[in-house]
Amino acid sequence: MQDDYTSPWVIRFGWIYLLAIVAALMVPVFYNFYISFNEYGFGAANYKATFDWYITVFEDRLLVNAFVWTLGLAVMTVLIVIPMGLSAAKLFKQLTNKVWLVALMLLPLFVPADIFASALLVFFKNLNGMFTWLSEMTGLGFLSTWFELGVTTAVIGLVVYTLPYVFIVILITMGRYHPEQTEAARSCGATAWQAFWQVEFPQIRAGIFSACAFVVILTFNEYTRTSMLKGGFDTFTTVLVSQMLNTGMSEQSYAMGGIVSAVAIVIIGSIIIITLVQQEQMARRERAVAEPGSGQ
Amino acid sequence: MQARMAGAALYAAPVFLFLFFLIPSLLTIVWSFFSRTMFWMEPDFTLFAYVNFFTSARFENFLWSIAHSSISVAICFVLGFPIAVFVRRYVPQVAQHRVILLFILPFMVSEVIRTFMLRPVLGRNGLINTVLQDVGLTSEPITSLLFSPTGVIIGEVLSFLPFIVFAGFLAMEAVPKYIFEVCQDLGASRWRTFVDVILPLAAPGIFAGSVFILVNGLGVALIPSILGGPGAVNAGLIATQAIIALDFPLAMAISAIMIFTLLGLLWIGHRLFDLTRTLEPLS
Amino acid sequence: MMSGAVDGGAPAVETVGIGKNYGPVQALKSVDLKIASGEYFVLLGPSGGGKTTLLRLIGGFIRPTSGKVMLNGQDVSHLPPDKRSTSMVFQSYALFPHMNVEQNVGYGLKLRKRPRDEIAAEVEAMLELVGLSGYGERRTFELSGGQQQRVQLARALILRSDILLLDEPLAALDAQLRKDMCVELKHLQEKVGITFIHVTHNQEEAMAVADRIAVVASGELVETAGVREIYERPARRFTAGFVGERIIFDGVLRSVSDGVANVSVDGRMIAATAGDGASSAIGKPVSVSVRSECLKLFGEAPQASEAGWQHLEGFYVESTYLGLTTRHTVRLASGREIGVRTVGGDEAVGPFARDAAVHVAWQAHDAMVHTA
Repeated sequence: MQDDYTSPWVIRFGWIYLLAIVAALMVPVFYNFYISFNEYGFGAANYKATFDWYITVFEDRLLVNAFVWTLGLAVMTVLIVIPMGLSAAKLFKQLTNKVWLVALMLLPLFVPADIFASALLVFFKNLNGMFTWLSEMTGLGFLSTWFELGVTTAVIGLVVYTLPYVFIVILITMGRYHPEQTEAARSCGATAWQAFWQVEFPQIRAGIFSACAFVVILTFNEYTRTSMLKGGFDTFTTVLVSQMLNTGMSEQSYAMGGIVSAVAIVIIGSIIIITLVQQEQMARRERAVAEPGSGQ
Repeated sequence: MQARMAGAALYAAPVFLFLFFLIPSLLTIVWSFFSRTMFWMEPDFTLFAYVNFFTSARFENFLWSIAHSSISVAICFVLGFPIAVFVRRYVPQVAQHRVILLFILPFMVSEVIRTFMLRPVLGRNGLINTVLQDVGLTSEPITSLLFSPTGVIIGEVLSFLPFIVFAGFLAMEAVPKYIFEVCQDLGASRWRTFVDVILPLAAPGIFAGSVFILVNGLGVALIPSILGGPGAVNAGLIATQAIIALDFPLAMAISAIMIFTLLGLLWIGHRLFDLTRTLEPLS
Repeated sequence: MMSGAVDGGAPAVETVGIGKNYGPVQALKSVDLKIASGEYFVLLGPSGGGKTTLLRLIGGFIRPTSGKVMLNGQDVSHLPPDKRSTSMVFQSYALFPHMNVEQNVGYGLKLRKRPRDEIAAEVEAMLELVGLSGYGERRTFELSGGQQQRVQLARALILRSDILLLDEPLAALDAQLRKDMCVELKHLQEKVGITFIHVTHNQEEAMAVADRIAVVASGELVETAGVREIYERPARRFTAGFVGERIIFDGVLRSVSDGVANVSVDGRMIAATAGDGASSAIGKPVSVSVRSECLKLFGEAPQASEAGWQHLEGFYVESTYLGLTTRHTVRLASGREIGVRTVGGDEAVGPFARDAAVHVAWQAHDAMVHTA
């Protein structure tokens, strides 16, 4: 593809443009970092670099509380959505008629957050009404709380939101796996589960961990659905937004935003670096095997 | 027996989505015909919510928001799709995925932060104005960047550009690698290659990506509420405001309209382009 | 060499009316097959013809839509691969890349929870059997194609199952390596003594290793016979066209006497060896086939009076020297072009000029009649 006659300037320009766009997209984030390091907060005429806000961030009860809640939501979502995405990917491989499955799995991407959140909110309110009535009828008290707005409903909303992403990431990872290995394992005497866990999983592990990281990050960043479906507690994003629109963001909030962004950047950055390193290793191995005299 | 159960477990995801995605979405139609009560709504069959929406002042703003979102789509396409083509053509296969990761980066930062941070960037005393004045290109701050349609468009482009790159990339997977060489060999100019060969092949993916941006631009309340001027609304914002006002049938009416617009667009796209082709690289 | 006779007791593998449909597509239509214990059995056929489907049905990787599979007399049709007494060797990519050679080979025993030292001893024995002693620590990507297939063999044989299935095991190897591996496979099977069922589309490979060959094409079992028989005396027309290089004529059977069939082809009578059941086909369309190496070229009509010689007139087109053999192309009166093979650059033949009139002749006993 990269033929020898292409002008190197075309390639250079392409890369510069590409990186410029990425940089432009990241401007708000970098500005966030910039502000968070300013002792005088946002909008002040002077600038003094400091780590103060990052240190005091943990003293802001509201923020920390929200952070912990969000983390809890993230963990629960991961525990539900990853096995679901995995089973959906396996189903995809098995089906002859795959279109309906893919359409269903990817459709949530196309429904905007607010619209979906509104629909789900009304849905849960109705369900809650039904279940409350049911619990009165049967005397089973716990039923009445099942679909109250709270953790359950927030997690359900988050699972629907992240499922398409997980599905795609896992599918792509599984695309590199050779199914003959599962058959070979079965032939050696492994049950379906053993074949999956001992042979397939070690090879798709990396993709699954990426999917987990993805889900955690998505959960932390998600605002609309969580805010509508969460009920009483605060999450990280809802605190930020309410501050933005009402009281103005506190310096600690900028710092918190900085932390979360930094974590996301570190995670993605490490994935990039790790794949780079792995690639180098593979290339080195292949060169070693290709030397004559190593075969037969 | 065990195999049967394991087989059934594979359907967990579709069943879940059916229950908690398809059904609520379809029920929006039903609920949109309900009539409103003080705090909730009661089963009914009335077009009141729809009439309310189409005759209200909000409706005109809503139409404007469609125009703005369409502009955002166009800008995203012009800025982003060439990147997908460039990566496909000039970047070695193994590095391509890393480039995609690079675009996942802004996406991974909270939309909330990215959108809100545009306020200090675009505002009167914000970054852009400060830089322009310092450099001497302008003598007065530009006020129309924020709290205006321009602000909304800039916000949408910034939020959704990575998606057009992803969609473009997926679309370009439908273009075989050797196409570029063949076109070059036949003497086609870059422009002709692009228009005659690449666009038609990548069309399904581009269309899907565009629908995604358009629909999200119309549906995400956050952007106009933070960056838009007074009265700036999109469907999502109207729906959210309706819910806050406890006018649920109205919110449902808007949701139903949006969902069916989206389904309609996807249906059209499928008839025109056969969108399932976009998914071939995945299988 | 096994003649295919079942030596007391149930055959190692038996399929009864086994078939597989994928929706409207019939990958395999009712196949009845018996494979004896200790045989090296080859499924030979064109790509997409159903031989791999048949192998996978025997192995349990596919469920039959009709019929059943019996291993050692037991119906195993409902059992998955891990519950059957078969092991499989695949074409490529089947070694576990996250394990080294030793772990790959020992995997089956590890699943059966054998003690560590027992596994280590068995692995070493197996590696020695396949000629890879000392390779235990290597990673799979460090191995060449031939070595990878040997690891697969070791991994499959360590379980001491009754039946080894091989799905085009040599297809990914280059020609010379393939020839060497054929010999090794044959010796291995003789040493280990279990039943091998080997799928391939490569005829030479099939003949090098097999005791018996089954030709499978278009979802059907065409013919089953020993190696020699299938090459020299194929019963079915398809086999004649698929195995070896033959010229095939279509005609009508006029009479049969003393084992000699008289077939009318394009208005002439040709004599050929009549098989069993030929007499029942009198008056019906049949085909006659002759191996290209049995054809002889003459400048003039051979002494026609010599019993048994059949001949056709044609024009010499060209010769192609292929080293081991030379192929002489002759255009018959009907316009059809056929090939005649001679060994080496056999100067005893011709040389003939282009468009020279020649006679292509063969002995009646080298020609076979096919009723189907």
